[in-house]
Amino acid sequence: MMKRLLIVAVAVVFLSGASVGIAGDLMIFSGAGLIKPMEEMRANFAKTYNVTVDVHYGSSGEIFAAVAAGQPCDVLIPGAEKYTEDAVKNGWVIGDTVTKLVLHVPLIAVPKDNPANVKGFMDLVRSGVRVAIGDPKAPAIGRVARKMLKKAGVWEQATKNITVYAPTVNQLLIYVALKQVDAAIIWGDLVTWAEGKGKLEVVPIEKQYNIIKTIPTAVCTKATHKDLAYKFNEYIASDEGLSIWTKWGFEPCKK
Amino acid sequence: MTFFITLLLVLAIGSLFVVPTLEDIRQNIWNAEMRYSLKLSLGTGLISTILVMFFALPIGYALSRFHFWGKGFVKTIIDMPIAFPELVLGLCLLLLFGNTPVGKLLSALGLTFVFTKKGIVAAQFFTALPYAIRIMKSTFDYINPRIEFVSRSLGYSMAETFKNISLPLAKNGILASTVISFARCIGTFGTVLILAGGSFMKTEILPITLYLNISYGNMGMALTSGIVLMVVSFIAIFIFEKTEVGL
Repeated sequence: MMKRLLIVAVAVVFLSGASVGIAGDLMIFSGAGLIKPMEEMRANFAKTYNVTVDVHYGSSGEIFAAVAAGQPCDVLIPGAEKYTEDAVKNGWVIGDTVTKLVLHVPLIAVPKDNPANVKGFMDLVRSGVRVAIGDPKAPAIGRVARKMLKKAGVWEQATKNITVYAPTVNQLLIYVALKQVDAAIIWGDLVTWAEGKGKLEVVPIEKQYNIIKTIPTAVCTKATHKDLAYKFNEYIASDEGLSIWTKWGFEPCKK
Repeated sequence: MTFFITLLLVLAIGSLFVVPTLEDIRQNIWNAEMRYSLKLSLGTGLISTILVMFFALPIGYALSRFHFWGKGFVKTIIDMPIAFPELVLGLCLLLLFGNTPVGKLLSALGLTFVFTKKGIVAAQFFTALPYAIRIMKSTFDYINPRIEFVSRSLGYSMAETFKNISLPLAKNGILASTVISFARCIGTFGTVLILAGGSFMKTEILPITLYLNISYGNMGMALTSGIVLMVVSFIAIFIFEKTEVGL
């Protein structure tokens, strides 16, 4: 008994050393902010083709690094085009599979009744307003928030107001909903989540300040199930797929 | 079976040390972010541990020696944070210290816990306290109360007995409890993330550094903080084993 277990253990260690996970038929790496529509599409796709689909959610930087490290991935869906562009350059994804899916629109979320009376982007730098943004290095929304503030030339001023740089997007929602901050820069689709309902209000960011991102999808060069991967890649960009994106608050790209 | 699990654990721990190169570790350990987070971790961990022990000693003693109304309830509540996830504890503390009368009162006293370094200490305190109390209680359970009775009958007051008899007898337990609390404080992640925010170079402690760098895709740095954390807990467990106190 003991001996056999040891042999199994050694075998497991060697196999995992070659980074062969025990995965389903299809492995998707997706930005964490896309979880709601992604879960619905995953279930639909799995049912239609009678396959298992595993989705690994992480910040865009994290899943990008995972692909870079050679972790098994069939389809990559990060939170911004920059990642697929870099991945094409490095030969990690197949160039002509890159498809623009939906728009990611940042906006300002404020607690119910808007205690600090935030009406627009520049109110974020008014003294005394407590602001939360994502960590500029981790979730895509953090980097976008800093970019917008820099573009408007008020980053320095804004840092005085920023009380927290949250490593995850979900923290931003909690802090706004619990009135721990007066405003947070967040993706528009996130505030349509049922969790936030009734707890927060939305203030649009004026056009001249806003930076709108596009969510892309692409099939990985090393995909082990290319055929299925192509099908999934097309499915999430199909009319049916786009209607699910819309349902969860994402705006489809104009074709 | 025992060997199998031990082998797997050894391999898992070993891989943390094998994967990064030495050069990587050396560079990462001296970079500004790591030094900041290490310093903050040790500082907050130390303060939290002192606070934890300050409360755990009398509470552990009371739970071991006295029978009072509602003792079962008190024990359950105090033990609860051991069982539920750190994230939940963090959320509870955030709610409590947020826009409630309690939070406002504490803020007025200069104790703002949300998004601050004080918040790190608070998070660590509540995470580690139940462990410390448990160890202290079982330590006092093992000390024969008759020794204390004898001390009382020979003229020591209750406080004097505690100070001169019970405390010295509980020395090993106190050491063990302190060490475990410190390790627990240093390793607290979820509670700190929610209550103190986990902001880069602001409320960044070692486990946050690990997590942040995973999301930055900077594996070298993440692994290095993992190693530092591992070394701290290894030393803690080693001392704990030396003191030979059962939980």
